[in-house]
This record gives sequence, C-alpha cells and structure tokens, in this order.
Amino acid sequence: MNIARRLGMASVLALVLSPGAALAADPVTLQYWVYSDFAEGDALKLQQQFIAEFEKAHPGVKIVISGKGDDDLTTGEVTGAASGNPPDVFMNGLPFGAQLVEAGALDNVYAKWMAMPQGFRDQFDKDAIASCTPKPQTMYCLPYTGFNELLFRNLTVLKQAGIDTSTPPKDWAEWFEQMKKVKAAGKSAMPDQTQVFNSVASTYSIVGPHEEWGIDFAAKKTKINPETYAKALQLFVDMKPLASGTSRNDQATKDLFITNQLAFHVVGPWVDPTYRQAAQDSGLKYDFVLVPGAKPDQYAGIKAYEILGVAPGKNADVAWQFAAYVADKPQMLRWAKLLSRYNANAAAMADPEVAKLPLIAKSVEAVKYGLDVKPPYFVGAYPNCYNSIVTDNAAAVADGKTTPADGAKSLIKDLNDCIASN
Amino acid sequence: MIGRKHIPHYAMVLPFMALFATFFLYPIASGLYYSFFDWNATSRARFVGFDNYQHIVASRDFHDAMINLAAYVSITVPLGITVAFGLALLVDSFKGVWANFFRTAFFLPVVLPAFLAATIWRWIYAPNFGLLNMILGWMGVPSVSFLNNTGTMLYALIAVDVWVSAGFNMVIILAGLKNIPTHYYEAARLDGATKLQQVIYITIPMLYPVLFFVVTYGFISALQVFDIPWLLTGSSFAAYGGRQRALLFPVMDMMGRGFGGLHFGQASAYGFILTLVIVLITAGLFAVGRRRFAQ
Repeated sequence: MNIARRLGMASVLALVLSPGAALAADPVTLQYWVYSDFAEGDALKLQQQFIAEFEKAHPGVKIVISGKGDDDLTTGEVTGAASGNPPDVFMNGLPFGAQLVEAGALDNVYAKWMAMPQGFRDQFDKDAIASCTPKPQTMYCLPYTGFNELLFRNLTVLKQAGIDTSTPPKDWAEWFEQMKKVKAAGKSAMPDQTQVFNSVASTYSIVGPHEEWGIDFAAKKTKINPETYAKALQLFVDMKPLASGTSRNDQATKDLFITNQLAFHVVGPWVDPTYRQAAQDSGLKYDFVLVPGAKPDQYAGIKAYEILGVAPGKNADVAWQFAAYVADKPQMLRWAKLLSRYNANAAAMADPEVAKLPLIAKSVEAVKYGLDVKPPYFVGAYPNCYNSIVTDNAAAVADGKTTPADGAKSLIKDLNDCIASN
Repeated sequence: MIGRKHIPHYAMVLPFMALFATFFLYPIASGLYYSFFDWNATSRARFVGFDNYQHIVASRDFHDAMINLAAYVSITVPLGITVAFGLALLVDSFKGVWANFFRTAFFLPVVLPAFLAATIWRWIYAPNFGLLNMILGWMGVPSVSFLNNTGTMLYALIAVDVWVSAGFNMVIILAGLKNIPTHYYEAARLDGATKLQQVIYITIPMLYPVLFFVVTYGFISALQVFDIPWLLTGSSFAAYGGRQRALLFPVMDMMGRGFGGLHFGQASAYGFILTLVIVLITAGLFAVGRRRFAQ
C-alpha cells in the first residue's frame, strides 16, 4: 500500500471517528428550545457558552437557542412534529413525555444511548434514566435538570410565633403544631395547597405511598387508594384555616414570604434566587429543609426532571450529540456551580465543589424521597380532566362540602370516569 | 368567458385571492374536514363521522363552558357598553387637556398586555392582603377569595373584562358623539329638555349605528373569551378553567382538547360548534338591527 493510499484511508477513518469533521461537509442548523428561564441572564450566557464550544468542535453546525414558556414549549413541539418541522433538541418536563411521544415529537434514542461509552451512561441518576426508558430498548430522553421540593422556612415569622428554628420539624404532627402557632401569631402558615395539582400531590406525599399514586394505564384506572387518600384529604381540612389563600405558584405567595407574612413555602429550588435576593435587599431570614413526612424517619415532597428530547429526522444524530454534550458532566458541573440547581447528572452532583453547595446538598438528599408527579412516564398521557378533578376534590373537602372519606371515594370514581372517557 | 381585457384585473386580485385561499379558506376547510376525524396531528386520521360533535356536546366540560359563557355574555356585554357609554359622555363633557387626559386614562387598559392586566388584578383580588380585601377589611367584611370562590369568580372576571374593554368602546362611542349636530341639543334645551332626556331622546337614537357596531363586536368578542380567564385562573394545558371549572369557556376547552389532550379532531369540531353559535347570534343581532334601521 503506497503512502498516498494510506493517507487517504487515514483521512476517511478520521472523518468517520470525528463527528465534527464528518458533519463539516453538510452544514446544519439545530433549533434548541429551552424553558424561558434557561434563556435569560447567567443561564443564557452559560448555554451560549455550551453552544459555542459545541459549534467549535463541530464545524458546520449552528445552534439557535430559543426560550419558551411552559405551554409554548409543549404547543410548539406538538405542532412542530405535526408539520414535520419540530425543534431538533428541546426541553420539556417528564410529565409531558407521553404526550410528546404520541405526537411523534420524540425520537427513540436507545441505540444512540447504548452507543455512548459506559462512562457517559454511568454518570446519570439511575431513577431518572429509568423514567426516560419506559420499556426495553426504548428511551425517549436524556434527563437534564430537575427538582425535589423543599420546605422553605421564614425564620423571622417562626421566631415571632415562638418556635425554635434550630431543628426542622421532625414529622407532620410537629410541623402542624408549628403552623397553628404561626396562625396564632397573626401570620399565614402555608399557601393554599388545594389550588395546584402539584401541591395536592405534594400533600399526598406526606401520608401516601408512592406506589399508590398515578394511573394504571393497562387497567385504565387511577392507582389512588381511597383509604390512604382520605388521610391526605384530612391534611387539607387541617391546613385550611391556616393558609394564606394564595397558591404556591402565585407571585403573591413569594411576596408574603419575603415580607414576613408567611411561614412555610413547599416548592422547588427555583424560588431560592428570589429569596436570596430578598435576604440581601431586605434582610429576609430563611432556610430550606426536607419536607417532613408522616413519621420522623420519613420525608415528603414531589420530584420531577426536565428532559432533553431529540426530534426524529435528518438532524437526529447531530441533535443527539448536542444533547449528550450539554447533559455531560463538565457542562452540568458548570451549570450546578453557577445556578446552584440540582440536575440529573449524578456524577456532577457528587463533585465535591458542587456537593458542598447547601441547596444542591439538600436537593440531592430530598430527591431520594420524592414522589413522581405523574407516573408512569412515557406510557400514557394523563387526560386533561385529571388535574382539575384532583384539585377540585381537594378544595371541596377542605371547604367542608364533603368528608375526607366520601371525598376520596368520589375522587376515585371521577378519576376512573375521566381516564375511561379519554 | 373571461374577456382578454379583464385578465389584468384578475391578475391584480390574484395575489390577494391566493393569500386569502391559503390562510383563510384552506384552514377553515381543513378544520371542517378534521372535525370528522380522530386525529392527534401526527398519526393517520381515522374517520369517525359525527362522533366528535356528539362527544363534545355530551361532555361535562362543554356543558359547564356553555353555561359560563351564557352568564358571562349576558352580563359583560350590556354592562361593558353601559360603562363605556357613561365614560364617553363624561369625556365628551370635558374640553381641551382634561378631555385628552381622561380619554388616555380610560384607554390605557386596552393597550396593557393581557398578562400584565391579569397580574395586576390577581393582586387586587388576592385573599387577606389584596387591595380589594384590604378595603373590605376596613369595612369589617371578612376576606373573600375572589378567584377561588365559585360564587365570585365570574363576577371577578367580568369586572376585569369591563375594565379592559370599556376604553376601546368608549373611543368608538366618543367618535359617534362628536358627529351628533349640536343644534339638536340646543333645540332640546330651548324646549326645556333635561340632560337625561337629551341623552335618551337625542344621543342614543343618533348613536344607533355606532351602538349597533359596539354591541355586535362586543358579543363576538365575548363569545370568544379566552386570555383573561386563562390568566386569572393560572391555567395551563394540563389544567384550566379554575376551581370547579367556574371560569371554563369554550375557547379554553377547545384549546385544552387540542394541545392538552392532542384531540385535534374534537378541537376542530368544537371550533365549528362555537362558530355556529357566534354566526347565529350575530345573524340575530343583524336581523334586529335591520328592523330597527327600517323603522
């Protein structure tokens, strides 16, 4: 074999092995859709840095990042898939996964995943990977960022109510006693937990087992056990007179917390930047602890992951490479350091520099106890009557229109009717 | 036969006709077609005849949405126009700078983005510490959860809607007021007519064409109500309509079936049912209006 021929073969080999070089001949523009808070401020700057690095390593590839609101993301991904022009790489939440699969927006990336080095695959949280893999040889996402709820405590309000804040409440009973003291001190203890599906799920997680939450899509029935659920409904009744009347997502709830009118806020870590800012600006004193469970050794709260999906089509391979790049440890490490936010890259979370960050340390601990919001993922889409039935039922019981036991029974019937009619 | 001399004329309207057909007629025809199919936007559509229509009409959400809509329209349209008419008379009574000031002030909510208007009103309605509850508290009235109490939610929405829409209607009515010849009022005053009599016997009859437009437009807008209740209830495609669906309206239900449940066939059928309702009501208004004009 002469030198020229050997050089030629080496060049071909280099082209095949180097994705960037292979793609250079075929310029491609990837549309990368993210949640709007990923496309603002420091988060955007870091995302742009990831993009610049990837583009540099893959000449000919251009990536356009677009921030979208929650509904706009889902709508755009569904209509994009319908029109044959979906975004190439996109975020969404695990609970919307089945809907995106049904719409044909998500590529089955199992083969691409298995083609990645073992070291790459081992770095992710095992439960998160399982959530993306509904059945053998089928994988619809890379788990990206995520959360488990934490209990944010306003220390000023608690002290005014005569509560020792040195240790968090050990269980629901102690937490509830603290709520009553807060109310007696003229403050609100909690937001109204009946207003939003996630806060109902969160309250259920205090007393209910995880395996009794969600839908059995094969049987077309809810998995909720009425006897257990009646206990959760009793918590709404108990909390009703102590609540602020605002939902956990309202800006008003955050404002009440910041202005020392609200003691507890059970929510994801995304409120922390707001509260941290308030601590600097107005002296807000707060901390975050695990959400207490029914017993001292139990913890509650819901968890969910934001996912990275890849659309099927001619750009699927390079889109996967980009998704794998941003979800890889070095990037997730930088993400966690900058924003102090938990993500599904367990290796990044275990890095000493990240693990020492208080919010991440607490999130890593909390996620072990978290209840999946809408399991099982990627199996079936929750009917759009489901959420409102759950919240209306919780509100009706909290308002005293029915008893927890009767409310739980009627909930099961209504949910099963809703699932069957879908 | 198209004469050769007309070809340039047809060529000139062709761009409009092409765009009109592509972006107006085709979506309507396509929507009508898909309303007879079970279709999730990507998989092969399955013909289901009138099942989508039957499914919608029999559904609990459609029933609730239509009842809410009837209550909403029957209050918000007359109330909104009455308020706009009152504001127009008020602004018309001012001259110079003050007229401009009040016209601008009342029109401001119209140009405010809906999400901003909804955020402001969510604050005003907030239980315990919201502006409205603070005022009620001073009067000894206990806190009301305006946006979560099914007895108050509709009225809370109507108040926001009137606040937003009154400025738009006011400007139109004001333009009509400016066109009424002043000698009618002078003659009425000479005959001893009071202000109220002038409004009833001169202003309203002379404004009839303008009021007809405002009423018709108000009905058509109200029947398609969507953004304000969606934002006030913090709705998403996963959950919409507020507590016990008290602020669920047809367009919200249609959007939810389409983008929340991926039932685009049902959503299309819903659109045609709603269109039929709007066409019937508008036709009724025109029939009444024609009779009134004939008199």
